[in-house]
Amino acid sequence: MNFTVSISNPPLVALLAAEHVKGSVQVSVAEGKETQFHVSDEIQFNDASSISRYLARMAPALGLYGANIMEQTEVDHWLEFSAQRLCCQPDLAVALGELDKVLSLRTYLVGHAITLADLSVWAALKSNKEWPSLGKSFSHVNRWFSFLSSQVPFIAVGNKYASNKL
Amino acid sequence: MALRELSSLEKYLRLKKPNKYITQGDKKVPVLQHNSGSPLVGLVTIACHLVKEAKRPELLGDSAESRAMVQQWLEYTVTKLNGYRKEDIKTILKDLNLYLQDKVYLAGNQFTLADPLMYFRIHPIILDLAVQEKEQYVNVTRWFDHIQHYPGVRHHLPPVVVLRNRIYPSTHH
Repeated sequence: MNFTVSISNPPLVALLAAEHVKGSVQVSVAEGKETQFHVSDEIQFNDASSISRYLARMAPALGLYGANIMEQTEVDHWLEFSAQRLCCQPDLAVALGELDKVLSLRTYLVGHAITLADLSVWAALKSNKEWPSLGKSFSHVNRWFSFLSSQVPFIAVGNKYASNKL
Repeated sequence: MALRELSSLEKYLRLKKPNKYITQGDKKVPVLQHNSGSPLVGLVTIACHLVKEAKRPELLGDSAESRAMVQQWLEYTVTKLNGYRKEDIKTILKDLNLYLQDKVYLAGNQFTLADPLMYFRIHPIILDLAVQEKEQYVNVTRWFDHIQHYPGVRHHLPPVVVLRNRIYPSTHH
């Protein structure tokens, strides 16, 4: 499968998913103008969350899409949350407040292991310019964020693609 | 208590044959009679030895700083959490709660030997907490829940029910 990544607007969540599944799914990543994911001649995806969903489903053993129906639904919730609530600046603090409350009793957002939910929320915060200055007021989000940032796939993607370095 | 902890640790480390331990003195300090050399005495000493035997040196920390942190928490486990009085429990939980605010594991971002040993020791305390207290010491509870679900750690200990969402208004923030 060929994965072309837009250099001006890298799809962080999809890159993280590709990094996580690289042991079980063969994906070649190239840089280009627009983000494109070629599955076959007829099928291709263009947006980051479709690509990461597809990759997570290709490697079910990794559990990136949760371990049961309940967890899958939770993952979907967080994919939507990161696309809608963590991109627009005005109510970011409100969204972070909700996230902080949820993360007070959790190490990972869904279940007891890493899922797409963590990847997508991390990616959304990483590319949000407001996050570094707001981060200090949300200690649970901050702990979760720096924990993920210290893990190998996140370091790899962060160093290579994220413009918004902390 | 220490013998049970060592046997759980052996299982976590997947050591093939279980060791035979004896205890020493009225504090029941564990002793490992080693084939080659003098006997090893004390929970932490034996635990560190088992980690090396299992070839998992990263569990003792992978940098000078994290090695020191692991040793600090191992010592804390055998001193503060050994024969504590009932009135000490609140202080222990308060300190630990403050410490774990910005950490996933005791030594920071990595799982080390300090986590399962602390988990074994603190289990009876957490088991006794009311739902409201578990939420009061939210960082301890989160860490505890993470460790009890960590692959291969729990073994003989009963799981503690932990609510994953907060139900009390946060008055202590």
